[in-house]
Amino acid sequence: MDRQEAEQYLYYAMNIGELLLENGAEVGRVEDTVRRICLAGGAERADVFSITSNMSASIYGKEFGSCTQTRRVLNTVNDFHKLEELNCLSRKICEEGMTFEEMDAEIEKIRKEPGYSFWWLVFDYALVSGSFCVFFGGNVRDMIVSALIGVLLKFLMTFMQKTAANHLFNALICSAVGGFLANLAVFASLADHADMISIGNIMLLIPGVAFTNSLRDMFSGDTITGLIRFMESILLAVIIALGFNIAGFYFR
Amino acid sequence: MKEIIQLLMAGAGSLGFAILYNIRGKKLWVIAIGGIAAWGVYLLTQQLTGNDYASSFTACVALTLYAEVMAIIFKTPVTVFLVSVAIPLIPGAPLYRAMNSLMHGNVEAFAREGTYAFLFAASMAAGITLTTLVFRTMRAKRYHRRHL
Repeated sequence: MDRQEAEQYLYYAMNIGELLLENGAEVGRVEDTVRRICLAGGAERADVFSITSNMSASIYGKEFGSCTQTRRVLNTVNDFHKLEELNCLSRKICEEGMTFEEMDAEIEKIRKEPGYSFWWLVFDYALVSGSFCVFFGGNVRDMIVSALIGVLLKFLMTFMQKTAANHLFNALICSAVGGFLANLAVFASLADHADMISIGNIMLLIPGVAFTNSLRDMFSGDTITGLIRFMESILLAVIIALGFNIAGFYFR
Repeated sequence: MKEIIQLLMAGAGSLGFAILYNIRGKKLWVIAIGGIAAWGVYLLTQQLTGNDYASSFTACVALTLYAEVMAIIFKTPVTVFLVSVAIPLIPGAPLYRAMNSLMHGNVEAFAREGTYAFLFAASMAAGITLTTLVFRTMRAKRYHRRHL
C-alpha cells in the first residue's frame, strides 16, 4: 500500500465512521469500527478519537508513513436500520477486504436507503402520542386528542425542517403549538386533562433518550461526549418546557 | 386492570419509537414485547422494594440481558434493541416536570423532580453499563473487542 492508497483507504473508513455517527451510533463503537477497518487494511497503528460532532483518525504504516483525516459531523438522527447495514459492511471489509470502488458503491447505497414513508411516520406520531397519554393516566378522549395533535406536529415538524435550520427553534415552535392545541381542546371540552394530552406529545420531543445515553456515555468513559449530550438535552428540555407553557400562561 | 393497560401502552410506546428509529420487520415485535417486559419488571420490583431507583436499575439489568440475547439471535448491534426496549423507563416526564417547575419559579419542585430525573437516568445507565460489561466479559472469547 503506498501513500496515496492509504489516504484513499482512510477516506473510506472515515466515510463509514461519519455515517455511523450521523445515524446515532455511540462514539465508542464509531472509534472501534474505524480502528478495526484501518487495522484490517494494513495499518500498523490506528488512533481514532470521536465526539458527537467531530471525528479524527491517524494511521501509521512503514510503507506509507502516517496519514490523518478529520471530519465535522453536523446533524445526527437515530436510524438503526442504517446502523445494521453499516455494521454488516464493516464486518465484510474486515474479514474479506474490498476494492475502493466496491466500498464507495456500498457506502453510497447505504446512504441513500430510504426510511419509513411520510404517512407511516404520521401514523407513528399518533401511536406514540396516544400510547404515552394513556400510559401516564389519560382517558380515551385525551388519547384521541393527543394522537391528533401528534399528527399535526409531524406535519409542522416536516415543514419547519424545510424552512428553518435551528432544531432548538423548531422544538420551541412545535411545543408551543402542541401546548396551545391541548389547552384549546380542554377549553372546548373535547378532552379532560391538558397535561395528560401534552405528556404524550412531550415524549416525542423531549430528549429523554439523549439524557439517559449521556449518562451511559460518561459511565463507559466517554466523558466529553457525555457532557456535551447532557448539556444539549437539558437545554432542549428547557426550551420544550417553555414552549408548552406559553399557551398555559395565556389560558389561565 | 390499570396495570394491564399501562403495560400494553408501554409496548405500544416502544413499538412507536422503534418505527421512529427506522427498525424493520420481526424486530419490531421483539421490541414491543421487550417494552412490556421491561415495564413489567419495573412494576414488580417497585412492589417488592418500594424504591424507584432500585426498580429502574433492576429493570435495566433485565432489559439489557434481553437486548444482548436478541442482538445475538438477530445478528445486529445491541443498541438497536436496547434503546427502543428502554423507552417506557426513560425519564422524559420527570425531566419535563423539572423544567416546568423551573419555568413557574418553583425551585423546590425543580430540585425534587430534577434530582429524581437525574438519579433515575443514572440508575438506568448504571444497570445497562454493568450488564453490558458482565455480558461482554463472559463472552470475551468470542467477542475479541466490542464490535457493533
